[in-house]
Amino acid sequence: MHQRPFKQIDVFSDRPGYGNPVAVVLDADGLRDSDMRRFAAWTNLSETTFLVPPTEAGHAAGADYRLRIFSPSGELPFAGHPTLGTCHAWLQAGNTPRQSGMVIQECALGLVRIAQADDTLAFAAPPLKRSAPSPALLPLIASALGLRPQQILGAQLLDNGPVWLGLLLDSADTVLGLQPDHARLKDLGQDVGVIHVGPAASNTAQPGVVVRAFAAPMGNPEDPVTGTLNASLAEWLIADGLAPRSYLVAQGECLGRAGRVHIRQDDDHQIWVGGRAVTCVEGKVLL
Amino acid sequence: MQQQRPFKQIDVFTATPYRGNPLAVVLDGTGLSTETMQEFTNWTNLSEATFLLPPTAEGRAAGADYRVRIFCPGRELPFAGHPTLGSCHAWLQAGGQPQVAGKVVQECGVGLVTLRRDGDRLAFAAPPLIKGGPLAEDDVALIARGLGVDRSDILHHAWCDNGPNWRGVMLRSSEQVLALQPDASILGKLDVGVVGPRGKVGVVGSTDTDGIAFEVRAFFPGNNGLTEDPVTGSLNAALAQWLIGAGLAPAQYVAAQGTCLGRAGRVFVEKEGGTIWIGGSSVTCVSGEVLL
Repeated sequence: MHQRPFKQIDVFSDRPGYGNPVAVVLDADGLRDSDMRRFAAWTNLSETTFLVPPTEAGHAAGADYRLRIFSPSGELPFAGHPTLGTCHAWLQAGNTPRQSGMVIQECALGLVRIAQADDTLAFAAPPLKRSAPSPALLPLIASALGLRPQQILGAQLLDNGPVWLGLLLDSADTVLGLQPDHARLKDLGQDVGVIHVGPAASNTAQPGVVVRAFAAPMGNPEDPVTGTLNASLAEWLIADGLAPRSYLVAQGECLGRAGRVHIRQDDDHQIWVGGRAVTCVEGKVLL
Repeated sequence: MQQQRPFKQIDVFTATPYRGNPLAVVLDGTGLSTETMQEFTNWTNLSEATFLLPPTAEGRAAGADYRVRIFCPGRELPFAGHPTLGSCHAWLQAGGQPQVAGKVVQECGVGLVTLRRDGDRLAFAAPPLIKGGPLAEDDVALIARGLGVDRSDILHHAWCDNGPNWRGVMLRSSEQVLALQPDASILGKLDVGVVGPRGKVGVVGSTDTDGIAFEVRAFFPGNNGLTEDPVTGSLNAALAQWLIGAGLAPAQYVAAQGTCLGRAGRVFVEKEGGTIWIGGSSVTCVSGEVLL
């Protein structure tokens, strides 16, 4: 064990404490998987990341660094807010990407592009598989959320690694007023993301879209701000014409956070999920 | 205005990093509002975060070396065990000099708490029990069902309420304690502490080959259902008062906790006169600065 550089970053916020935290070990070279798992369980954050040099294949394909992402229960192939938070930490530590304005992260999912623009970082949304939810499941979920059928304008099972049941709801008040029965959601075994797209959503100066993420089956009743969920919701709603090509999401309000997620579809139809990040804790970790 | 403040994340009740119960410590909480302390605590997602402050004038006059405010997600606590040991460890490591050598006096919500230094370990005096004595038989039967054991496997039981409302039960063996898979739908809102001997069953004072007398587990209703705490100062304090008082434990013993969570918490208990000391090691895992 020795002292390694460490940061705890708040993501999807520029105000410390108002986003979603990620713990970042900046030099994890030589750590065993079991060390990473143990430390991630100990931090108790939704994710802890470990920066290591890219693999040979990754480096040849352009990777700037390689990232291992752990939740308290194990390793994840990809996750959104840890990707942005780690990239912020890597840049802040004085590194520069091989390609200006575009950081390439190697992770278990493969290579992920992160675009740098002003003080915002955005990851390229991974490909989405989606399908209609089972007609048997939907009423059970609606009831656990306390939703009436007419409040649900659309429903889609979304899989971009993590699997979310996405529900498009009729108003921001409906989204913010939900008091889900987390024990029932846990029993149903389905993580649920709810979203409302407001009438002025294409004006990205203010958040016109509100999102909440309920993940009791993953041990996290409500996630403060969720990168992958926002990625899959955007791919679904933009493709179906239910949301504009750019919008700004507010998430985490019911938890006292003020997460802001910037969604943008580029001319190649790639969706980018972006946000700011701020370093809250900086120092060394004994690992 | 936000500023960089010295910060540590300490592992408590272990000498081996990541085998105990973590605590976030802001070493200089001067000028922070209660709201900011609470928000930062929620953000850390740890069971507790603490904020060190200079003692109040009355506190200093009464011998306090430092003052600490202890928060868990959602509220401030008047006292808690592992945050006390971790905060004191952080204060000493940062160069804090107690007024009286060999002991440290902490000012917190319950008043002054004295800590004893035992080599590299620290110990706090167990606070008085608010409620002791046997549990109602209905509770014992419910706890047996919730833990998935026969009622006859609960050899002894007692209220262990010293702030947190623990109900304590002793099972036949540590193996039985480690095998528990409690049912949240039965235990409901109860805080349940379970203890079982690691040594020879029925022989008070016997230990396993590592010198450990008891295996302890702590279950409470968290925000995602039933939660197990890695290592619990308050529960071990109340268990010690019950077990030593009832002749079920010797005046000095070591308890293990957190085993099922991959931790290896070690709680050192010692009765000295009328005081029961609850001690453990601490190790600093993260050190640096926090923007608050």
